[in-house]
Amino acid sequence: MLDVSELVTTYGKIEALKGVSLHVAGGKITCLLGPNGAGKTTLMMTIAGILRPRRGSIKLEGAELVGLSPAKIVSRGIALVPENRLVFPEMSVRENLLAGAYQRRDKSEIAADMERMYARFPQLKERREQLAGTLSGGEQQMLAVARALMSRPRVLLMDEPSLGLAPLIVAEIFDIVAALNRDGTTMLLVEQNAHMALKVAHQFFLMEQGRVTFQGTPGQLAEDEVIQRAYLGTRRAG
Amino acid sequence: MDLLDLIDAAQSVADGLLFGSTYALLGIGFTLIFGVMHKINLSYAAASIGAAYGSLLLLSGFTAAPAVIVFMAAALCGGVIGALVYFIGFKFIPVANPLATLMSTVGLLLLIDEIIVHTTEGVPLAYPALYSDVVVRLGQFMLRGDLMFVFVLGCACMVLFLLLLYRTRLGIATRAVSQQPIASQLCGISILQVNVLTFVVTGMLGGIAGAMSGAAIGMLSPLLAQPLTVKGLIVTVIGGLGSIPGAIIAGLIVGALESLFQFLRGVTERDLYIMMLLFAFLVFRPGGIFAKAPGRD
Ligand SMILES: Nc1ncnc2c1ncn2[C@@H]1O[C@H](COP(=O)(O)OP(=O)(O)O)[C@@H](O)[C@H]1O
Ligand SMILES: [Mg+2]
Repeated sequence: MLDVSELVTTYGKIEALKGVSLHVAGGKITCLLGPNGAGKTTLMMTIAGILRPRRGSIKLEGAELVGLSPAKIVSRGIALVPENRLVFPEMSVRENLLAGAYQRRDKSEIAADMERMYARFPQLKERREQLAGTLSGGEQQMLAVARALMSRPRVLLMDEPSLGLAPLIVAEIFDIVAALNRDGTTMLLVEQNAHMALKVAHQFFLMEQGRVTFQGTPGQLAEDEVIQRAYLGTRRAG
Repeated sequence: MDLLDLIDAAQSVADGLLFGSTYALLGIGFTLIFGVMHKINLSYAAASIGAAYGSLLLLSGFTAAPAVIVFMAAALCGGVIGALVYFIGFKFIPVANPLATLMSTVGLLLLIDEIIVHTTEGVPLAYPALYSDVVVRLGQFMLRGDLMFVFVLGCACMVLFLLLLYRTRLGIATRAVSQQPIASQLCGISILQVNVLTFVVTGMLGGIAGAMSGAAIGMLSPLLAQPLTVKGLIVTVIGGLGSIPGAIIAGLIVGALESLFQFLRGVTERDLYIMMLLFAFLVFRPGGIFAKAPGRD
């Protein structure tokens, strides 16, 4: 469904992505694991069009995305739930959702989708007129996910949705991920929490220092080996 | 001070409050551009006066165009000038350097000033005052018709503007860009479109504010640009950079106090007191009238 090949993205002279290739299969949950600084966020931002790659291609069902504006990429069917959620703090929950539907013109369908979001995330419904900046971290994460879904994406990218959340909330987030996937959403999920990620993933990629260093299905690599590499990077000695 | 003086003082406050709606509109313009781009557009007030001049130019073929048309022409010119200011002074200037756009907008301020001076040879032009023959008497008070008209028009513009910002899709996009530019792009909002729109809308508000000043004073002069720039910036700071309700309240306060100080101490001293007010705010309440408590996260 989504094919990234030989992607190189730089910050000035620093190469954060050094030729990343990966494939996200339609209808599946693909996880991207790796230590801090591996380049996972850079990859997400490049796919979403916020960062421009130096080289390489990103194809959604065969159509090239590199060079398109972020707005065009959204209209092609990709939505990113960014790291740290980035909700609009001084807008109400309802307005945040409307912003997520910015590219759509089908008013009645947007209203119906809002109701669907409220049904899926009841906490948001209770707080629909509350400013997003006053929500708890978990609620903000739900809002960020709901906002991304309002564009009706074909592929949903999530960058560390469990970051900084209490274990109970993290479990809730992963339930939502699994539920969204059951409804047919294709997902690329960046996670630090390898244990949880491997439970929901159909396939996973390991990224270290700007490169993909392993790809496979959960079970193919022992979990502690994955966790070792995802948190700490490849062991230098041995 | 006896009773008559008190009444006169109150009268000057009322006049100033009415004229303050002009400052409020200018304050909204400065503050919205700051909110969206995190940049100060120093050419804004000069462009507003330029737009008022533009309306005279547009309508020069007609004798005594009706008021509505004059103001609409000023808004139109303001919108066009606003877009030009964006493309000349912002679009291609590196965003990372805050001084760069400061300098480019100072340049535009001088340019607009020069264009006005050269096309009018620096001679003030009469501007149609509206309802200047109407005077409403409330007991001892007199409310000047032209100032009331300016005030009502200013309030109508503010209401329309707030509806645009808080009740429309474009308003959501504008606030989204100002609060969280990366997330706004992830929602499919084009920052370029929002920037251009912001400059056009604030330009239109500025054009109307320029025309309101012209109508209240009865004439336009290139000498108006500088004091309006200073007052607009003061209003923006007192209102709190980025705060629209703040800009409205601060505009009215500055208008009222300016008029009161002029009554008490004369025209040559009044701006000194406004500067002292600014100083007091910078020292004691640098976040402005509605300084926010630091947010979560
Ligand atoms: N804005 C930036 N400017 C310069 N270097 C950056 C920037 N953002 C990230 N980097 C660098 O790029 C590398 C990858 O970062 P990132 O994509 O955030 O990793 P991850 O999300 O996997 O933790 C890191 O070495 C980081 O220091
Ligand atoms: Mg990251």
